[in-house]
Amino acid sequence: MIEKILTKLDRLLHFERARAHCDIPCGIYDPHLSQLAALTVIRMVDLMAELSGMEKKENIEYHNSMSRYVAIKEEHAELCKREVRVIWGDYIKQEHLDKYPELAGLVHKIMQLGSKSRQTASRETALELLKAVNRFAEIYWETKNIPTKRVKAPYKPGEEVVYPVL
Amino acid sequence: MILFKLLKVTGSSLEPEFKEGDFVGISGIPFLFHPPQTGDVIVFRKPPYGTMIKTIARVEPGQKEIEVWGTHKDSVDSRSFGPISFDSVIGKVIWRIHNRR
Repeated sequence: MIEKILTKLDRLLHFERARAHCDIPCGIYDPHLSQLAALTVIRMVDLMAELSGMEKKENIEYHNSMSRYVAIKEEHAELCKREVRVIWGDYIKQEHLDKYPELAGLVHKIMQLGSKSRQTASRETALELLKAVNRFAEIYWETKNIPTKRVKAPYKPGEEVVYPVL
Repeated sequence: MILFKLLKVTGSSLEPEFKEGDFVGISGIPFLFHPPQTGDVIVFRKPPYGTMIKTIARVEPGQKEIEVWGTHKDSVDSRSFGPISFDSVIGKVIWRIHNRR
């Protein structure tokens, strides 16, 4: 009876939540999403350059396409940062930091390049972002004793990506 | 100080005593009579998690610090974020309604 009243009251007043928080470590980490996101940023920069080379610019189609490219670039640069942050925060341990002294600087660089990729439409910056997340991926797989290879992505922009050899 | 406040529990770290969806009534009045002590179920603020509910596992004597634990092995509590301060405690659970849904 009282629980029904409280449930109804909660719907009305929305009581504050007290979190009995559990964090179930899933152990599923893969830097691939951050690499895909970096590739997407490069692709968007290319599409933006292509579009701005067109003659007719003052039409609605132009603005629509440009806005979409910019929005996707924003989203994926942020996604790239997020994916790296999750591995950094939840997977990387002190022993990894000891073994790879470059790691902290590398992650910081990825954060900065991710932001710069949003602020600018620079292909060079986007390429640097990919290079940094590739190195991050290499280190990640190495901590799991899984060898890696560098291959050109089989889709545009066709840049080199680090893959695990499973 | 909070006289009385109703909250709803989310998460499962205090099962089986407190389950997701249970309601709890908390108050700061009990602390006027005795400070927080081991075994008390308390609600406190812990950034970045927000408002949390846990059981007091230990009170650091003289240091104004409290260790809070959940009952579940994956509980996020003082074992991961360290002790909390007396000041962050909002109230003690003095009433609980199980939600049988």
